[in-house]
Amino acid sequence: MSVFKSLLRLGPFVRPYRVRLAAGVAAFGFARVFEGLVPFFLAQGIDRISSGSGDVGGPVLGIVLAVLARYVVVTQARYAVRSAGQLVAFDLRQRLYDGLQRQGVKFFASHSIGDMMTRAVTDIGLIQRVIAMGTILVIILVYATLVGFGFMLYFSPALTLLLLPPLPFICYHAQRSARQMGAASLQVQERLSDLAALTQENLAGIRTIQAMAQEDNEIQRFDRTNLSYANAFYRQAQVNSRMMAWMPSLAAVCSITILGYGGHLVLAGEMTAGALVAFFMYVNMVVQPFRVAGFIVNLVQRAGVACERLFEVFDLPPEIPDQPQKAPASKVRRPIQGVIDVRGLSYRYAPGRALALDDVQLRIGRGEMVAIMGRVGSGKTTLLQLLARLLEPPSGTLFIDGADVREYPLAQLRAQVALVPQDPFLFGQPLKANLTYDDPERPLERIWAAAAAADLKDTIKGFPEGLDTIVGERGVTLSGGQKQRAALARGLIREAPVLALDDCFSSVDTETEERILTGLRRDRAGRTILLVSHRVSTARHADRIIVLEAGRVAESGTHHELIQHGRLYAEMERRQGNGEHPIPVAVALR
Amino acid sequence: MAATSAKRDYALFDADLSGAVLNLRLLRRLLRWLRPYRATFAVSGLLVVAASTLQVLLPVIISIVVIDGIIQGGADQQAPDFGMVDVVEWLSATFSAHPLAAACVLYAALQIAWAVLGHAHRMTLTSSVIKGLRDLRLNLFRHLETRPAAFYDRVAVGRVMTRVTNDIEALYDLLSGIGTLIGEFVPFFVALIIMLSIDAELTGVLLLAMPIMGAATFAFRRATRQLFRQSRQAVSALNQNLQENLAGLQVVQLSGREGRNLDEYQRINRRNLGYEMRTVRWETLYGAFNDSVAHVAIGLILYYGAGPVLQEQLSLGSVVLFARFVEMLLHPIVVLGEQTNVLFRAMASGERIFQALDWDEAVHEPAVPVTLPKRLKGAVEFRRLTFAYGQDEPVLRDVSLCIAPGEKLAIVGPTGAGKSTLIRLLGRFYDFADSSIFLDGIDLNHIHSHDLRQRIGVVLQDFHIFSGSVADNIALGDPAVSRRQVEAAAQAVNAKGFIEALPEGFDTQLAERGQNLSQGQRQLLAFARVLAADPEILVLDEATASIDTETEQLIQDALDRLTAGRTSILIAHRLQTVQKADRVLVMDQGRVAELGTHAELLAKGGLYQRLHALQFQDAQALP
Repeated sequence: MSVFKSLLRLGPFVRPYRVRLAAGVAAFGFARVFEGLVPFFLAQGIDRISSGSGDVGGPVLGIVLAVLARYVVVTQARYAVRSAGQLVAFDLRQRLYDGLQRQGVKFFASHSIGDMMTRAVTDIGLIQRVIAMGTILVIILVYATLVGFGFMLYFSPALTLLLLPPLPFICYHAQRSARQMGAASLQVQERLSDLAALTQENLAGIRTIQAMAQEDNEIQRFDRTNLSYANAFYRQAQVNSRMMAWMPSLAAVCSITILGYGGHLVLAGEMTAGALVAFFMYVNMVVQPFRVAGFIVNLVQRAGVACERLFEVFDLPPEIPDQPQKAPASKVRRPIQGVIDVRGLSYRYAPGRALALDDVQLRIGRGEMVAIMGRVGSGKTTLLQLLARLLEPPSGTLFIDGADVREYPLAQLRAQVALVPQDPFLFGQPLKANLTYDDPERPLERIWAAAAAADLKDTIKGFPEGLDTIVGERGVTLSGGQKQRAALARGLIREAPVLALDDCFSSVDTETEERILTGLRRDRAGRTILLVSHRVSTARHADRIIVLEAGRVAESGTHHELIQHGRLYAEMERRQGNGEHPIPVAVALR
Repeated sequence: MAATSAKRDYALFDADLSGAVLNLRLLRRLLRWLRPYRATFAVSGLLVVAASTLQVLLPVIISIVVIDGIIQGGADQQAPDFGMVDVVEWLSATFSAHPLAAACVLYAALQIAWAVLGHAHRMTLTSSVIKGLRDLRLNLFRHLETRPAAFYDRVAVGRVMTRVTNDIEALYDLLSGIGTLIGEFVPFFVALIIMLSIDAELTGVLLLAMPIMGAATFAFRRATRQLFRQSRQAVSALNQNLQENLAGLQVVQLSGREGRNLDEYQRINRRNLGYEMRTVRWETLYGAFNDSVAHVAIGLILYYGAGPVLQEQLSLGSVVLFARFVEMLLHPIVVLGEQTNVLFRAMASGERIFQALDWDEAVHEPAVPVTLPKRLKGAVEFRRLTFAYGQDEPVLRDVSLCIAPGEKLAIVGPTGAGKSTLIRLLGRFYDFADSSIFLDGIDLNHIHSHDLRQRIGVVLQDFHIFSGSVADNIALGDPAVSRRQVEAAAQAVNAKGFIEALPEGFDTQLAERGQNLSQGQRQLLAFARVLAADPEILVLDEATASIDTETEQLIQDALDRLTAGRTSILIAHRLQTVQKADRVLVMDQGRVAELGTHAELLAKGGLYQRLHALQFQDAQALP
């Protein structure tokens, strides 16, 4: 069965804790025997009373000792097994985190973060439970049957055999109920997440709803979801209640058998009254685990799927292969010059899709400042991402200082090519930690220098907590422009030989952008700068402007040359100059 | 319309929780929601008593009828049998069957009756409570849906949302919990009555076990409460770390932080493991304890029962019956321990729900609202309007302005000039003094906000896209808007092109917040939405973000059509918009700074001219 096949893959993760697990499993056997001794001694006691002897001290002591022994053994056994589950979960989490960190643009284009969170939380949780609970339940099932039937056979083989026929029915019913329960609670979960999604969406858009006077429609929409949740909940309660009615009724078949045939045996003098009482307890001991059998099957199946989903991630090779040991010695631990050479670079995201870059030829000298312009989807971002190897370029197409970027150790390359991505993502940490994200040990002067260069110094000084201000959802909410400048500072602080800015002034007003770019130009000191932008006002700062069109270099030259050229760039300039460009109103008056 | 002036107050919407597990006032208030369904609820109560009695009589058949009556051949000391012996004798005589067979038949009959009554009880209970909870949830939602903008400015949306989801959910959990407790405690009391009627002394011995289990349960709960909380915190730290790391993975990789982050994650993971292991330790110690006490109790019954049986003060069957009742008597305590958390959570949730229901902040509505004509002309007048958010400094000071029907007015000014506030007041999202704003000469405060908002179409900067199809988003759930009108509206605002290029055209499902659309496309969609609603007045807060030049042209073109013949108030961020406006209002620090046509204001050489010069600095620097 494929479920077991995928669960078996957990082998290497379980192996380190096999001693613990085996000891727990063995100890459970002893615990069951001790538990089985309680009805045994009770039967003895009852028989002694019914035979007219008042000496029940022996059986009572037996019961107490059996209980004590069971308590000690069972607590240790449960701890051993459950802790193994936790330890495996710990290892799985580390493995998943590590695996995900090696994925990149391509992986996350087809897998959402929410999906990965589900794997980390729900799937690992299921595996932890199948190891902890599942193992325990299987153990109980096997041992309880062995021990329970052992004692019953001792008292009366004939009665024991008569008790067997109802068991398959109980088992079947348990499994069916578990399946129905699983389906019903899935429904409840789904209706609940519908309800949560609707509420979340509604409240997030409450201003729109109220502005458009749509409250009544929304309330009706809500009540439909509200009702289907209530119905799903009712259905789940119904399945559960039926199970609570059926299970004892099926078990009662056993009780009636004991009552009728067992009573007959006692009357015939072939069994004692004490044994009759003990039989009721043993049947309970056997049947109880059967009732949960269905849930075990359900749990194992779900864990099998969870396992597959985890290994789907574990099996993936790193998106960008990194072979630092193969790198030529000359490329390691030596600052690069920053000469970029693009030779016939073509790139497509997946086979069958259009070329994102089409035979790009480009040479950028050390210390040159180049602006890259072009429409959405013309390949600007792709080019920068290939340079920093967030995407893998075909070999022999992209060179830095004459060496293929694929030959550089990844860490070395990314340390020297500082790419500031389009999305100014900040971590929910203090600003200081965000600015020194690549190296928390950076001195304070350097942080302030980078902040100043990104025109962020005054903003930071404006916060009561200064550099210790926590940003993000649980902290201060920064404006789009502030975020972009913080992300820029995070890139500038690295003083890397190659600086690649991916459209990171879009929310910054033109005046501030002007100031930052003038500073960058002045202090660049041999640094190669690549600048992606939509704005002509940004591009004008560059030594050279490249316009991409459908993945090809369409134009290349200085601002004046391209204006003279009178094509794409000139068109952009004309439009933006004609006021289709946002007015920097807010800042203009400050 | 992001709140620029109001600060989020995360403590604002948080009930002052009393922390009591049982808050009677609260419980009464909760029960009030069950009143419409009280008949079903009462039937459920009768059923559970009947079912529990049957459940308790089953062991009586085994011990008193069979063991005492049949096996022991009628003990000298007859324990109460509740007529079971007579029934068996009657059955046996009528069908001339063996008494054992008769007992088996009776057992089967009672078992079936118990199962049926028990199921009926659980379903009637669930049905009545679920209906009450559904009403409560709907009322809560309706109440929140109609709170004013001032409320949503201050409160974090997540807080409001959890009232509707998690807090009501806690009450559903309580329903399951209470169902379980009733199923445990009613049989407990019936069994207790039977035991007391058989032998009070032996019952006392058995009851001694209760405080021991109670104490153990209490100790366990107390020891683990803190642990559970720490554990929950550790888990959420763990998830948060992973989530954030994945969201910022590009930055992580570009900064070469993978190793450090993995270590960091391991530290949190290890802390979590520590709490988990301690929790497991406690749970295993406690879990096996209760079974053990129950088993020891059986030993005690044997020990204390032996004497009386031999002295013929007690029947053997009674001892067996007591042993069978141990579980029924002690299990409720374990369940009670399990359910305290549910109960506690439900009480806390109840408080938060009622706090929300009691929150009566609202925009003031007129006692006798004016009935608006079928079509307004669209004349808007601001008359000496001064406005402040709460106790803050006024954001609008003495604003007076007349906008003619069909006029196109552009508003410009720096952040905090009061532009957004002005249009918010026009939609009556906040209360302001009477006789400050007039629509066709009617004081706005005399119009019901709901009526008013149907006449004013608002396009916000970050307008909201609902999950649903493109068509749904344009019609916005209004059944009066037909599919043809939707398509016509889309066509008129240049949105039809991109919509039809989507995989399923107008039926394409949009992801939450329209993530699968570009900024410009979202703007066009919002235009279509307004056009479909066909309001008399258009209010637009133009997007600031840069949009590629082609889409930009489509937007400008669509805007022309949208504003044609309609009173339009546009907070402008683009020069082209300003140039096309009939008049431009320049606001500064809450006041009307300048007002006139684009050309007039330029010629005047004031604030507007400075803005204009700044915008054009690029172009002027050209050779």
